[in-house]
Amino acid sequence: MAYSDKVLDHYSNPRNVGSLDKNSAEVGTGLVGAPECGDVMKLQIKVNPATNIIEDAKFKTFGCGSAIASSSLATEWVKGKTVDEALTIRNTDIVKELSLPPVKIHCSVLAEDAIRAAIGDWKKKNGQHSQAQAAVQPAPVEQRA
Amino acid sequence: MALTDQKKTAQLDSGILVVNQSRPTKVNCWSCGAMRAAHFCQECGKVQPPTPVDYFTFFGLPFRLNLEPEKLEGEFYALSRHLHPDINAINSDREQQWSLEKSSQLNDAYRTLKDPITRTEYLLRLQGVQLEEQSKAATEEARRTGKLKKQVVPPDLLEQVFELNMQLEEMRMNKKMGEPDRTLERELQDSKKHVQDRYNGLVEELHAAWNEWDALIDRAEQGGSVLEDDRIAVRDKMVDVLNRRNYLRNLLRDIDEVLEN
Repeated sequence: MAYSDKVLDHYSNPRNVGSLDKNSAEVGTGLVGAPECGDVMKLQIKVNPATNIIEDAKFKTFGCGSAIASSSLATEWVKGKTVDEALTIRNTDIVKELSLPPVKIHCSVLAEDAIRAAIGDWKKKNGQHSQAQAAVQPAPVEQRA
Repeated sequence: MALTDQKKTAQLDSGILVVNQSRPTKVNCWSCGAMRAAHFCQECGKVQPPTPVDYFTFFGLPFRLNLEPEKLEGEFYALSRHLHPDINAINSDREQQWSLEKSSQLNDAYRTLKDPITRTEYLLRLQGVQLEEQSKAATEEARRTGKLKKQVVPPDLLEQVFELNMQLEEMRMNKKMGEPDRTLERELQDSKKHVQDRYNGLVEELHAAWNEWDALIDRAEQGGSVLEDDRIAVRDKMVDVLNRRNYLRNLLRDIDEVLEN
């Protein structure tokens, strides 16, 4: 299967690979997996407590090129956004940006899950109950073509 | 996973335990008009046209997961002999065509049912389980409610898979540089044993779930009632075991690859 140029770019030149101090109160960690393919993805965010802006993001993914590209793109996108803005990122946005084929849509779902899990972890650490995003309009998950 | 709260009771026919699958009713033999057996007319022995049936029904089996491999194999060879296109070469064109189609159906059915894992996966598919769809549905649920998505595999397993992958990556790097790290290698060998044990333990877990499932089928076949919740609970138990198995299998494969190269 041919990967799109953008996937190849993120795959061979992934952004923000690495880790942040998971014990820091400013850091949220999300570890998620896709049982369909056995991929694991860790995504971490560092949030400025005064502004709620995500100042840094790191990831490490063990999986296929699309999973790596999806998480690489996710870290790029969340940086500079507030926590609530980051929660509006949809797997469909990732699919579109990377031109993922239907069989790789689960990779984009995994990346969205990772963002959500990292933010959830950060909120938990900071005593916020994750009700804020309930107001966000749900969008349908991209279906197979 | 669409867990329903309704306590629906399955009907007497055990076929109802399989969503959207109904067992074919008996029809008349196209040739002599008598009621037919599964593949050949009981009266005249003529091959019958292929019907789109599930693999269990193809072999005339109940939807049980425990089955005797020798019996299945025996049945497979017996059917193969009668369905083989060469045997049917003297018959009419449409009978030849049917025997060809049925032979191919037979091969698929046998291949799927003889292996315990593909058999389980197949039954789960008949039960309407689609892993990817479930994952998407759970993501949608998380968006809607703002709650964290429940991961389909337990966090400690994800943690273990992640850590081991980190070690594997380090090991690959070291080897590439021509400086294999013996301590790391020993650690990996220990981890492999641990993962292997966990993997082997899943077989027992799966068999326990099989027994629960078969008990439901037996109850239904004997005319008893089966609660929808019970069916879903056993089904999900099997999905859970297979999900964990996927991770551990990949991990074992990767560990072997790194240790051997």
